[in-house]
Order: sequence, then structure tokens, then C-alpha cells
Amino acid sequence: MKDYSSPAYTIRRKLRPYKGFLYLLPSIIILCVFTIYPLIKTFVMSFMEDYNLVNDTYTAINLENYKELFSDATFLAALKNTGIYVIFVVPISVILSLIIAVFINDVVRGKAIFQTLYFLPYVTSVIAIGLVWRWMFNSNYGLINSILNLFGIDSIGWLNETKYAMPALIIFSVWKSLAFNILIFLSGLQTIPQDIYRAARVDSTPKMRVFFRLTVPQMKPIIVYAFMMGFISAFKVYNEVYSLFGGTRAGPANSAITVVYYIYAKFYNSYRYGIAAAAAVVLFVIIFVFTMIERYVTRDRDKVKSK
Amino acid sequence: MTMTKSTQKTHSQHIKMKPSAIVTKVIEYVVLILGAAMTLLPFLYMILSSLKTYQELNAIPPVFFPSIPQWSNYVEAWNSAPFARYLLNTIIVAVCTTIGVLITSTLSAFAFSRLNFPGKNLVFSIFMATLMIPGEMLIITNYQTVSNLGWIDSYASMIVPYISSVFYIYLLSQFFEQVPNELYLAAKVDKCSDFKFMTKIMVPMNKSCLASIAILNFISSWNAFLWPLLVTNDPNMRVLSIGLVRFQTESGADYQLTMAASCMLVMPVVILFLVLRKYVLEGVAFSGVKG
Amino acid sequence: MKISIQGLTKMYGDFKAVDGLTLDIESGELVGLLGPSGCGKSTTLFMLSGLTDPTEGTILFGDTDVTRIPPEDREIGLVFQNYALYPHMSVLDNIMFPLINRKVPKKVAKERAEAMAEIVHLEGLLARKPKALSGGQQQRVAIARALVKEPQVLLLDEPLSNLDAKLRVETREEIRRIQQEVKITTIFVTHDQEEAMSISDRIAVMDAGVLQQFEKPQDMYLNPVNTFVANFLGTPQINMFDGEVTDEGVFLGGNLLRARADFADKSTFIPNGTYKMGIRPEHFELCDEGVPAEADRVLMTGRELQVFFQLGETPFRLLTHSDQRLSQGSQFDLRVRRAQLMIFGEDNLTLAKV
Repeated sequence: MKDYSSPAYTIRRKLRPYKGFLYLLPSIIILCVFTIYPLIKTFVMSFMEDYNLVNDTYTAINLENYKELFSDATFLAALKNTGIYVIFVVPISVILSLIIAVFINDVVRGKAIFQTLYFLPYVTSVIAIGLVWRWMFNSNYGLINSILNLFGIDSIGWLNETKYAMPALIIFSVWKSLAFNILIFLSGLQTIPQDIYRAARVDSTPKMRVFFRLTVPQMKPIIVYAFMMGFISAFKVYNEVYSLFGGTRAGPANSAITVVYYIYAKFYNSYRYGIAAAAAVVLFVIIFVFTMIERYVTRDRDKVKSK
Repeated sequence: MTMTKSTQKTHSQHIKMKPSAIVTKVIEYVVLILGAAMTLLPFLYMILSSLKTYQELNAIPPVFFPSIPQWSNYVEAWNSAPFARYLLNTIIVAVCTTIGVLITSTLSAFAFSRLNFPGKNLVFSIFMATLMIPGEMLIITNYQTVSNLGWIDSYASMIVPYISSVFYIYLLSQFFEQVPNELYLAAKVDKCSDFKFMTKIMVPMNKSCLASIAILNFISSWNAFLWPLLVTNDPNMRVLSIGLVRFQTESGADYQLTMAASCMLVMPVVILFLVLRKYVLEGVAFSGVKG
Repeated sequence: MKISIQGLTKMYGDFKAVDGLTLDIESGELVGLLGPSGCGKSTTLFMLSGLTDPTEGTILFGDTDVTRIPPEDREIGLVFQNYALYPHMSVLDNIMFPLINRKVPKKVAKERAEAMAEIVHLEGLLARKPKALSGGQQQRVAIARALVKEPQVLLLDEPLSNLDAKLRVETREEIRRIQQEVKITTIFVTHDQEEAMSISDRIAVMDAGVLQQFEKPQDMYLNPVNTFVANFLGTPQINMFDGEVTDEGVFLGGNLLRARADFADKSTFIPNGTYKMGIRPEHFELCDEGVPAEADRVLMTGRELQVFFQLGETPFRLLTHSDQRLSQGSQFDLRVRRAQLMIFGEDNLTLAKV
């Protein structure tokens, strides 16, 4: 038998509780270097005037970056565009996907096929499929205009007129975002106890009433979640803009510029690191607020879950 | 979470349907089929366009179907840029990050779900809090870090920052939690070390969750764009998505070639998804149900 | 292997889960740890296994102090309520698992596992996955896995409570048979008194973290040390009531249950007063002349008849042979069998049986 009173054993016994950190070490290192450190650094950088990324130098610590940021018409346009984007994309996507999910859940045949087909956009490269949409939106040869022409509507300069840049982006994004929402709604629908539907049927409740009085309230936490995820990802939109408008600009006269696009442009193209960092902090604050709202609205659900 | 199995048995099959119920069903199917058509349209359009001639693609009014499928477009696209190299780079990056994510997620999830150590809850909270940090805001400093490390134009720059994912750690630890603790205690009594318990018991018992993580991570690595765009200048280090947009800018007018190249980027993942559908859907659905 | 537990205490914050438990278990003995849920019996078992660290006290296996020894070095076999089988491994791999961990060569491990499987009657099921086995078979796999490493002590945590009634009886006899065959010191936790009595050599009854009594099943049933043990053992439950002791004897509601002159032990002296008392349902006897009663309700259970009646204001229940012709409203006379009237005194301790 081992000697359980030896100092070596005692040390091992004392150290044993810390073994968990050994398992966490790889993740902790990655997280510290590539998430926590840059988070702090970005905050600090956003207060540094004329920060130079290469030499790590700056001229002063002040609020100049934020002042410049909020007086920059392009940034304000990015915020405004993101606002428009959120107002259109998220509700349209949530409502459409809820209807589709309820229908898929209701039909008997082809459930799995519909589920698979509707999910395809989620796994597809935004960059590649964005190039397809770009061609579909083409004002001369595009599919969308030729369909419009069939109905007697004149061709629209989707990608080269400033007022149509956002609508084009919104259509593309709704198409792309339905997949995720449909899937989480479908899985949510399957967690609703079926007995309440049987009871509703016995009471011969009309289908619309079942939808609004039973399904929607039961799905409320997931609907809230879908809204918040929609908001958050809307603020992070970049790839869609890049591929739809070709990467050199965010639509005609930057008319579809988004916050992340702005950060990237300030950082990579015009080397205004402080401004980019300030914009990143604004992005963080916005997303933080939405996350908090989501937590607040769904807190009851979590309480129930933890019991 | 089995999505495909219909959990509700339809008792209606034996009962005569009311006419109004039939109308509802017809409406449902019509809406679903129309929606599915709209969802598939860009894919179909991509494939058809990739098989058209330049003239067909630029015809006014547009032609929907190519008269003769131009398979040569694929050969031409493949040869006009080093796509083989891009493909290799993409696979190297995707495979390495996926292996890394599987290892770090398993280790961390095991620590959080089975081991006790001081400050565990605090560490877990910090991990979870990082989920609300948008990765996009970190690109500036991470670019600086990676370039200070001399990693620009290297695989490391695209792999290392992505070998640990808090979301997958969370997902996996939820699954690990569901393994009854008695198994852990029994193994302990049976002289099984923590590490061995993790590899011999926990990992095989949660194979399907790990498969979900692997496939989801592979897909997102395959489709990654912004970060690889930042950290690669050397054409030899480009991944497919970067290669595609560069190719598009360079080949410009020959959009049928761009479409062929897009197909090459999209189709492998679509096929992968169709084959491993169950794991992808379960993995993504989890985030919705758990919030 | 003899087990000696001395002053074992476990605190969870301010809550005393186990309070100064002292117990000596003989080598090869099968001991049932019995008590209601939350009485500290499982905590005790887990302290014996080493999975839970005691706050105070020592545990000796033979002459070795194992209190600080980690579970993997304690030479114990542990069986859980939910069996804790590894679902992705075959039965054989499950049984071999502890041996492989101990670096036993694969071939030897396989032979030993197969031999063990024979003892628990699992031969022919070795290639199956646990899911394909019945609850009783799964439990036997768990026992085989616990025993295959030839431990000094076998610990079972509620081994039968996940089984249905019929399997439970079969499996408990199986456990007894296996235990006898390998002659291993065994401690098992249960909340089911019948289960504990049927297979244990001795039972330790616990309540609120405190050991109440440690005794052979029959002795404990007949001579409980206090009202808790008296109440906890026996189905149907013992009849409890407040009775009077006078110079003449024991009374309930004016009925003389036992004259002082008829006390089993004439030397028993009990001062006059009101006492808590208990009579087991099977210790009533029907007779021609005794305490008159009327049946409120009669339950036929096959082998025996349960008769509900009242003495004074107190409801009682008695058990008698099913050949007795009694029905609702029947009048009958009864008496208490000799030496089977329990009288409890201060702190609910048993004073005497008269």
C-alpha cells in the first residue's frame, strides 16, 4: 500500500483541487490572448489620439476619437443603415420563419425534406451566395428584374442606385436569416406539450386561435431569443455587404455601409485605428444592451429551468 | 431533440377530415413549396449560370436554362486561379481548427461539468460572458497580436485564434452534465483517472454531440471570410472564400466562371450538410432551445 | 474484512448529515443500513467508499485506518442505485473495466470477468450492451463489476429500488447468494425495511444522522429500542397508543390489556402513569373472553385478514389467519400475546415488554 502520510502524497492531495485549471488551460490561454486582452486593448485604444498600430504610440488620451466618430456622417449613416436593417430584416424574418415553422410542424408528409431545404442557406458561404444574388440583382441581366418586367414593372437599379442598395441588402439578408429562425422555432415547437393541442382540438378551437393563444405564448422565449439574435447579428453584418457590392465600397456612395464595414474600412484602409476602436466599442455597447434585454426578458424561463 | 421524428402522432389519420381542414392543409403545402422554391432559387440559379455561355448569361431578356451545359466553365475557372491551393489551404485550416476545438472543448467541458476546483463558477461566468463580445470588434487588436507574432500569411494566424470556442464548450458541458454522476464515482472507485474517464467514458458517450461540434465548426471555418481576408496577403495563403472574391474581381466580366467557382465553394458544404444533416440540425437547434 | 466505524460525523454547513456514528461490522457479514430518506445512510456509505470525506471520526478496514485513503485505493466494490453502467460498452467490457484500470493483462482480465459473470449468472449476455438487459440483469452486471477486482468490502446503494416488485424479491435473494458465495463483507443501503430484514445478518437503523439500533433483524423487530425503530419496522405498522398503567395493570380506555399479575417478567416494575405503548398487529389474538371489540372494516389479503377496529378512541389494526370468519360489524374478543405489549418511557426508549 502507498504511504498516505508522506509529504509527496500530501502535496499531491493539496494540489488535486486545482487540476481543473490544467484542463481549462488551453481555452483560458486562447480566451485571454484573443478575446479578453483585445477587448481591454480596444477600449483603451479608443481613447488614444492618433494611435499607431505598428509602433504602439499615441499622442494623447482623450475623447477625440469618439467626438470624431459621432461627427462622421459615414458612421452615422452606418448606424442609421443598421437601424433600418434591423427594423426590416428582423421582424420580417421572424414572422415568416414562425409561419413556415408552424406549417412544417403541422404537415404530415415531407417534414424532414422541408426542414432540410429551408436550412440550406445557413450552411452556405455568404460570400459565394452573395455573388449569386449580386447577379440576380443585376439591373440588365438579373433574374429579379426580368421577373418584375413580367409583371409590367420597370427594371430597378438594385445595386447601383443609392435608394435601392438597402432594400437589396435586406432581401438578401431575410433570405439568409430565415434558416436559423425556422430551425429554432421548429425545435421549440416540438418542446410544447402536445396535450394542450389535443385539449384545444377537443374544445374545437379554431386554428388561428390555437396559433395566437397557445403557440405564440408558449414560444415567447424563443421568439424573443430569435429577435435578439437577429438584432445582434444585424449589427455585425459585413460579409453580405462585401459580396453584394463587390468589396471596394458598401453600395453606391456607401449607401449600405454597416458598423462592421466602417470599422474594417477605418482600420484596414485608412489606418485610423483609434476611430476604428471607438466604433468597435460602440458596437460592443449596442450588443451588450441587446444581450441584457434578452437576459431580462427570458429570465423567468431560466429560473424555471434551474429548479 | 430529434427533429425529424414527428413526436405528435397524428390521430387524424383515422378520422375523416373536414373540408376546411383539407383547405388548410392545401394552403400549408402551397406556402411551404413556394417558400422552398424561393430558398432554392439562388442555388439553382448559381448552378444554371455556371453552365451558361458568356452570351447566354448576358442575354437580354435573360435566359434561364443554358442550351448546352458548359461543363468546361468549371475546368476554365479551376485553371485560371490556383483553386487547388485555395482548397488545400481551406481544408488545412478547417481541419486543424476543428481538431483544436474538439480537444479544447472536451477538456474545458469536462473540467466545468465534473471537476471541482476553487473559483469554478467565476471562471465559468467569465467564459460565458465572453459570448456577448462580438468577434468583429476584436479584429484590430488581434491583427496586431498576430502580426507581432509574425503570423501574417501563415496557417497559424487562421487556426490558433479559433481553436477554442466558448459556445461549443457550453454546448458540450450541457451534454456532459447529463451523464449521471454515479458513472464518474463508479469509475473513480474502479481506479479510473479523470483523464481516462474523460477519454474512455465521456467522449464515447457523447459522440453525437462531438460530431455536431465538429461539423458545425468545419462549416463555419470553411465559410470564414473577414479574418482570413485580414491576415493573408500572399496569394498562396488564400482560402477559398478569399480566392473566390479575388477571382471575381480579376475575371470580372466572365461571371459564368465566377458562378462555377462559387459552386466549388458552396457545394462541398451543402453535400456535407446533406450527409450529416442530423448532427448539424441538432447542434444548431440546441442554441435555440437553450438560448 | 472487519470494518470499524468510530465517531463518524459529516457536516454540510450547519447540517449534521451523520452524527457520531460508531459501528463494528464483522468479517463476511451482510449489514443493511436502514432508514427514511435523509437519515444519513447514503452519506455513511459514501464515506465508507471514500467518495465523501468525513468531518470527524475514523474508519478502519481490518486494522488499517482508511479515513484518508482515496476511494480508488480502498479496495472496495461499489454498486449504485441506477447501476452506473457505461452505456457504450458491452457487458464484458463493463466488468473488465476495473481490471484494465488496474493494469491487469487483457487476457487475465477477460478470464476473471468471465468467471465473475458466471457467479452472477450472466454468461451468454456478455456481448450485449447494458440497454439490451433487464433491470435485474443490469444490477447483476453492476455487482459483477464491483466484485471482479476482488475487493475487501462491497457497498451497495439502494440496489433494488429501481426494480419492480417481483424482480426486487428475486434480485435480493441473488445478492444474498452471491454475497455468501464470495464471502465478502457487504454493506447495503435501503429505505425498505422488509428488504433489509430479509437478507441482512444485522441491520443498522438510522434516523436524522443518528444510529438508533444495530441488531439482528429478528431481535430488532421483536425488541426495538425505541418508538422510531418500532414504527419503522413492520408492515402493517405497529399500533401506537397512549395507555394507562395503574396498580392493577395496563389499561386503554377502560379496557384491561394486561394485568400486572400477567406480566411476562414478574420483576418488571413500571410506575403508575400514562405511557406511549405499541402492539404489533399480529400480536393480537382472538379469544373467547378478553377485550371486546367490533370490526370497522375487514381487509382480506389472502394469507391473512386485516381487521380494523377501535379501542377507546384509538384506531387499531390486527392480523389474523384468513380462516377466521370476520366481517364488518362482527363482534369479537381479543387479547395481546404474552410479552408483546411494548411500553415506552422517556425519550421514547423502550421500557419493557409485558
